[in-house]
Amino acid sequence: MKKQLYYGIAAIVVLTLVGLLWNKIKPTDRVDFATQVKPILNKKCISCHGGVKKNAGFSVLFEEEALGNTEAGRPAIIPGNASASEMIKRLKEKDPELRMPYEQEPLSNAEIELLSEWIDQGAQWGAHWAYSLPTQVDVPAPPALAGFSLETEDFIQNNIDNFVLARMEDTQMTPNPHAEKHTIARRVALDLTGLPPDSTLFQEFVADKITYESFVDKLLSRSSYGEKWASWWLDMARYSDTKGYEKDGGRNVYPYRDWVIKALNQDMPYDQFTTEQLAGDLLEEPSMDQLIATAFHRNTMNNDEGGTEDEEFRVAAVIDRVNTTFEVWQSTTMGCVQCHSHPYDPFRYEEFYKLMAFYNNTRDEDIPSEAPTLKFYSENQKKQVEKVVEWVAKRGDNATAKAYNKFLSYNEPVYNAHTLTDFKNGSYDDHASSILWDDGSCRLANVTTGDATALFLKYSSGVNGTVMTIRKNNAEGEVLAQMQINKTKGSIIRKIPFAKTEGVYDLYIETNNDQVAKEVNTVNIYWIGLLPDLPGKGTNGYARIENSVVDLLNATTPTVPIMIENPPHMQRTNQLFERGNWLMKTDTIAPATPEVLNPWNPDWPKNRLGLSKWLVSKENPLTARTLVNRVWHQIFGRGLVSTVEDIGSQSDPPSHPALLDWLALRFMNEHQWSIKALVKEIVMSGTYMQESIASPEAYEIDPENEFYARGPRLRLSAEQIRDQALAVSGLLSSKMYGPGVMPPQPDGVWQTVYSGAQWKESKGEDRYRRAIYTYLKRTSPYPSFLTFDAGSREVCTIRRTTTNTPLQALVTLNDPVYLEASLELARRMNISESPTENISVGYGLATYSEITPEKLEALTHLYNTSLVEFDNGAENSPFYHLQKRPEKELAALAVVANAIMNLDEFLTKS
Amino acid sequence: MDNLEALIKEHLNKEAQSKTRRHFIKSCSSGLGGLALGSMLMGCESFSKTGSSSNRSFSERDLNPLATIPPPFSPKVKSVIYLHMAGAPSQLEMFDYKPKLLKLHGQDCPQSLLEGRKFAFIKGTPKLMGPQAEFVQEGESGNWVSNFLPHFKNVVDEVAFLKAVHTDQFNHGPAQLFMHTGSARLGRPSIGAWATYGLGSENQNLPGFVVLTSGGKTPDAGKSVWGSGFLPSVYQGVQCRSKGDPVLYIEDPEGISRNLKKSTIDAINKINKEEYAKYGDPEILARINQYEMAYRMQIAVPEVMNINDEPENIRRMYGVEPGKESFANNCLLARKLVEEGVRFVQLFDWGWDSHGVVKSGSIDMGLRNKCTQIDRPITALILDLKQRGLLDETLIVWGGEFGRTPMQENRGNKKMQFKGRDHHGDAFTMWMCGGGIKKGASHGQTDDIGFSGVEGRVSVHDVHATILHLLGFDHEQFTFEFQGRPFRLTDVEGSVIHEILA
Repeated sequence: MKKQLYYGIAAIVVLTLVGLLWNKIKPTDRVDFATQVKPILNKKCISCHGGVKKNAGFSVLFEEEALGNTEAGRPAIIPGNASASEMIKRLKEKDPELRMPYEQEPLSNAEIELLSEWIDQGAQWGAHWAYSLPTQVDVPAPPALAGFSLETEDFIQNNIDNFVLARMEDTQMTPNPHAEKHTIARRVALDLTGLPPDSTLFQEFVADKITYESFVDKLLSRSSYGEKWASWWLDMARYSDTKGYEKDGGRNVYPYRDWVIKALNQDMPYDQFTTEQLAGDLLEEPSMDQLIATAFHRNTMNNDEGGTEDEEFRVAAVIDRVNTTFEVWQSTTMGCVQCHSHPYDPFRYEEFYKLMAFYNNTRDEDIPSEAPTLKFYSENQKKQVEKVVEWVAKRGDNATAKAYNKFLSYNEPVYNAHTLTDFKNGSYDDHASSILWDDGSCRLANVTTGDATALFLKYSSGVNGTVMTIRKNNAEGEVLAQMQINKTKGSIIRKIPFAKTEGVYDLYIETNNDQVAKEVNTVNIYWIGLLPDLPGKGTNGYARIENSVVDLLNATTPTVPIMIENPPHMQRTNQLFERGNWLMKTDTIAPATPEVLNPWNPDWPKNRLGLSKWLVSKENPLTARTLVNRVWHQIFGRGLVSTVEDIGSQSDPPSHPALLDWLALRFMNEHQWSIKALVKEIVMSGTYMQESIASPEAYEIDPENEFYARGPRLRLSAEQIRDQALAVSGLLSSKMYGPGVMPPQPDGVWQTVYSGAQWKESKGEDRYRRAIYTYLKRTSPYPSFLTFDAGSREVCTIRRTTTNTPLQALVTLNDPVYLEASLELARRMNISESPTENISVGYGLATYSEITPEKLEALTHLYNTSLVEFDNGAENSPFYHLQKRPEKELAALAVVANAIMNLDEFLTKS
Repeated sequence: MDNLEALIKEHLNKEAQSKTRRHFIKSCSSGLGGLALGSMLMGCESFSKTGSSSNRSFSERDLNPLATIPPPFSPKVKSVIYLHMAGAPSQLEMFDYKPKLLKLHGQDCPQSLLEGRKFAFIKGTPKLMGPQAEFVQEGESGNWVSNFLPHFKNVVDEVAFLKAVHTDQFNHGPAQLFMHTGSARLGRPSIGAWATYGLGSENQNLPGFVVLTSGGKTPDAGKSVWGSGFLPSVYQGVQCRSKGDPVLYIEDPEGISRNLKKSTIDAINKINKEEYAKYGDPEILARINQYEMAYRMQIAVPEVMNINDEPENIRRMYGVEPGKESFANNCLLARKLVEEGVRFVQLFDWGWDSHGVVKSGSIDMGLRNKCTQIDRPITALILDLKQRGLLDETLIVWGGEFGRTPMQENRGNKKMQFKGRDHHGDAFTMWMCGGGIKKGASHGQTDDIGFSGVEGRVSVHDVHATILHLLGFDHEQFTFEFQGRPFRLTDVEGSVIHEILA
């Protein structure tokens, strides 16, 4: 029995060894396409045989291309027969003219073997891991007891740690101990709120009055949480306070920024957060907030430069929306699919335009007014709107009531001036309006006016006595509307009767005014809107309601650009663009999502609302993974897939694939799309709570902390650096929301062409608001943020690259903002007669840790040097931003405070 | 400060010892300090072949992202001075002489040229407008120069003209972006950022990529024309200003002496060294290095930006106006900067958009005035670099974002008050001068009225390929990995214009 067992073991050993050897030579298992074959194809073949180039008619991007006929008239891959496959022959070819890859290093024998085996096994195609999501992931068991120290036991705080530990074991690394309390308190406060913890909360935690969990909960409930995480989202949303491009004029879109802060603070579930931003306007009876949320995609740039074609830049904005949607929700770059199939990922050229079709029918048309914009009426005006809507609903039908509600809320739908054509004695005046002179005419082609019996015209005029006539189709056509136009003060909106007309036809617009000279503008037309007239004409109160409508339309209110869908009769046709050129339109297509991703549910409407539902469908393999990967990246400075902008066949493989999927599933199923729950789970992990100290050897083995055997240690973001300086000096204002503010910046930074816009330094507490509220001009962002790697928000930014430059040192050493903070911190430090005590206090206030004797000595030395200098210097000389230097002790403390605020430990979360 | 050097040396030695080639490649592709230097693999490979000493130079880059690295091919020039006339100068009044256009002056533009074309402001049928300047053939090359540039004609044999450059953009913002980043859309790095990323800086006390503006405005496309796009932001252009601090926040605050600043930085770095001893994070060493550099930069930048120290004859030669923001000052600064080893100097001069709406924007008066403003400084720059032996290692590039129409602008279909020309991307002139450039060359020709190139047409990508070639790069190999694919300055196009190379 015993003998048999030995034989058995020996046999197993031998077989295993043989197996191992055999494995080296010839894989016995099925070759896996996704993990074994696809990487070779992507690396060695696809640049000439892929989405961009299909040399010899052969491509390895899609199955049917790889297995289909090449230019030679036969397939290069014959499933089941590697030796007959041209592809394998070419890989083995000796003649360098014929050998593939052409003019490159040949494939290794092992690679050729693997490809041959795959073909012999039938050349089964498969999907990349990124395009399918498992339904369940098991948490690894805690590692075997051997080598399981007290430290690792302490390390495991939640399930995340089991995944991390399993991977760490592979590399024979061991986790660091927990960070000290004061360290973790500062770290987690900066991660959750962007600010160091306030002293009360900090004291409660370090004195063990509250647990770490309730410390975390309290931070998560602070409104500063939303302000911190909003900068992450606004980078992706390309939020800015200006329109971009040459003129880069101001844009009133801060209500969207405030919406994001509020939504994050309320922990709006991510599926809802997604739907409201992508399609809030298409929800049933959308609320103001849901309309504001759609400004997400109105953050695209608007080109007001003279001589630019509105349609070109409307299309550019639509393309940007497709690209941004896929970058933000799917970690996928669709940009290259505009011209050809994706070079590496399985997205087809047509699929870009099918996606674009979801976005191609919004009312915005790159006009300077940025219409459609949602009007923010005063309480009084809101009541008027209600009265109008009530009136219409009571006397007319519901549809008309709705139409008036929309028209009053955001002035749509209207035909913009640039859609006018066929000018006689007139022209489209670049970017603003269409002009007609005496005996002028133009045409609005292919309109459907249906039930409309009222015409709304936005126009301006500098002369009296012009008669404008609108006819059906041409100069001889039936008169549909007529009005006298006199001098206006700026542009106004008027309502005139309109003859009900069936079918699709042209509006022919003519103007006559014998009183004016040639080439004098009789009218500037901005837009034309058509609605059924208000019901109840002739009844008591009609005139008042009609006046209300006109008054409300003409009322100037704050606004925010929003997304509004074209009504059916104004739909644009969706077509492919040949090689991405918007002027070369070819086949007509319908909206659809890429085939390789989750299927479309026929219950979803084929519009942006359906698209958003498709994105947040639990079957979508990328949405949840993308989100958890990015939240992880925000906290650890590295994604589980390190290329956080790209999860696909060219991305780095995940460092912890199972953890990524487990977190994604948990985020959707257990956490019900709660970002706060996800964040909390991560910061409650032992992985997060580790000390960030590491030996040179640990840096050697794992320079990027890919295995998480130490806690994160990262330089703070541009926003955090400013906010922290203001916070520790006591200057930070807690005021939330509202228009962008302008803290001090050097003169002459704004020198934009054709713009009178000026940086008007904010007064009072607005100088000390959190960075998220700083006015962001795309062509000239706030300089110190730019230096600390914040972007200009012209396009979607998924990841800021952290750099380390001398210009950053100049900001924190010399920028008046930081000097003021230094002086204020000095005042807070200045509590006793003892300089060393003051310095220790200041260091503690700034870094939340106790000063070491060496550091105290260095700073005391600096203090003393300063005192000597100030002793020798003139008493009444200017100091920092002050006309007169304060007493020398305070000034010396300010110098020390400035040094503290430049310490690596201050600029870094450890 | 000795201490720091010792510390860095120690760190580097440790690294060099422990790194195998595989490790090295890995650190190249992932890098320290968050530098995603994936595409530097090209650079890496050339290093790894030459052994461990180059290993060291790469690690130096981890600590200092502007550390010099040699290009993969032998370079013709070390630095570039790019002179951009923002607004787009008229080639027809400066270099592209069209006598036939003069004969056709005042005639309707043929419909065949207008069909299917879009112009920024021209409406209906515009009239052709003959050159508003007089031309002479100059130098041994016999290249044409107009009387708007009386000084420049003396150096015409030094430069190589590109007479048929074309662009597909005809609005300023996108065209400027295209000219400087190779893409009309935002998000790509500028040429200067690519050059600085690829080569580092020769002078560690100055930014590697400096931008100087004149004419009272910054470019239409904003700071993105010198932006770093997806490259680390350390490679973006640093705007040096004529008023206020030459570089933002370079000056010490009031009441803080140089000595006290030095003490401050000493204290900071002393503590940071303690921090490094505790945490072992190489990023701290990089920060120590940056603070030292910042201190040195505070001396070096004001020094190099001070033109008052230049001899009187030099200042007169350029025609500088101390204390003002002027193109002449910027040309002299450009020379000083490349002399000090700055890699890429970009000048933007605003005011070349001669539509004819106002006098200063007219072809016959405004443009002539702009030409006068650049004529002397550019000539001086070429001569000054030459007399210092720097012209052979510097490339000067001159041009706008597009050219101007042979037709007179008729905005709003009306006759305009002044003579103007509309935006035109089909054919315009650029020139290059300096190391590796064929002196006195002229490449490309336009048709009789200067509307389109008929011979030797070159694209913006070709211009970029040529600049990179002169700096020692193959534009097809010089890439950066972003969003899962390698990006290059020339996208998927461009070929080196060998016709103008020596």
